[in-house]
Amino acid sequence: MPKCKAKLNILLSMIALFSSAAHAQTNAPTPSAKKQEAQNVARVPDFSGSWAVTGGAPSWDPSDPRGTKPEGLPMTPWAVERFKAARPPFGANGTFEAVNDPVQKYCDPPGITRLYNYPWNFALIQTPRVVYILYEFTGLWRPIALDREHPKNPDSTWLGDSIGRYESDTFVIDTIGFNDKTWIDQVGHPHSDALHLVERFRRLDHETLELSVTFDDPKAYTKPFTGKRVFKLSFAPLEETVCSLSEMQSFDDEVMKTTTQTPRK
Amino acid sequence: MKGKLSNIFRVGAGLLLISSTILAHHGTSGYDMEKVITLNGTVTSFNWSNPHCLVHIDLKDSKGDVKDWIIELAAPTLMSRNGWTKDSLKPGDEVIAETHPAKNGATTGLSGASTALLKFVVNGHELPYR
Repeated sequence: MPKCKAKLNILLSMIALFSSAAHAQTNAPTPSAKKQEAQNVARVPDFSGSWAVTGGAPSWDPSDPRGTKPEGLPMTPWAVERFKAARPPFGANGTFEAVNDPVQKYCDPPGITRLYNYPWNFALIQTPRVVYILYEFTGLWRPIALDREHPKNPDSTWLGDSIGRYESDTFVIDTIGFNDKTWIDQVGHPHSDALHLVERFRRLDHETLELSVTFDDPKAYTKPFTGKRVFKLSFAPLEETVCSLSEMQSFDDEVMKTTTQTPRK
Repeated sequence: MKGKLSNIFRVGAGLLLISSTILAHHGTSGYDMEKVITLNGTVTSFNWSNPHCLVHIDLKDSKGDVKDWIIELAAPTLMSRNGWTKDSLKPGDEVIAETHPAKNGATTGLSGASTALLKFVVNGHELPYR
């Protein structure tokens, strides 16, 4: 009986060993995928580092980045209605009163392009099949797939579905599949779920990163437009910057409401 | 020692929070960005938390009443990049602080943004500012 048990144990061990090998082979990249991956690695420009937002540009309107005339962006009637209802904390229409900025009021995710308006850093983490962008503000991150196309019917999400490719020294990100719950910038410009976003990152020199963003949203804007931002390399590591609704509400009660009330006598 | 409120009005780009500086989660519409006043008082609390660090300062006004001033600074990560820490101010510290006052006359002010910070002198020592 002990000999039978020993033989059974050996048999079971061999089954486990071959099963593991078979599983690994099933999920391993195909030879053509490996070749593509090697090519990707060979021609990848380096975007490593922590990148800091520079300058005060609350609007993505390329003709008015400071948001002095936010109504000037060519909006459709659908977007104008939403824009007029917005009570943003920034720009020419900025207010402290009854602000309905979804980030300030609800700690909703800011949306991709708005993340580049806040004075916090971000970092690109490049792997052969996917690039991750980590955003310090609210701790958001997003994956950009390098090895597929968009799904035919993507879900509508806060950050959309992003696919990317390298074009020489530029990293191009194509994103669709947004919900319409965010603003594109700090001055309350809306977007619809039809937004098609194209971001182009290019490292101008070791310490300078340029981002060009094209907004194509025929439901919200009468024509596409492209804005640019420049970021500087930072030595500060990414740190925690959580959006806490309780902290926001406490600040609103203590400071925002006090600063909008009728003066005390 | 109870502090006093002294109003020193200065209009000059170098002494103001630069209008192009990036503010964190809201703008400056509630504050008079053309005016800087100087507060001379005693710290009662220093709240090092998001969305903005807050300093409470007790000042005695011209009538001898003590007023609680709330001074808004940038978020902790941004303040630490400007050289401050959660221990830069403590209850009981004597402070001379520059600030943009609220437009409505409330005892609130804005003194810090991501890349600009007005001057604070704490117990005779200057904190980093830019």
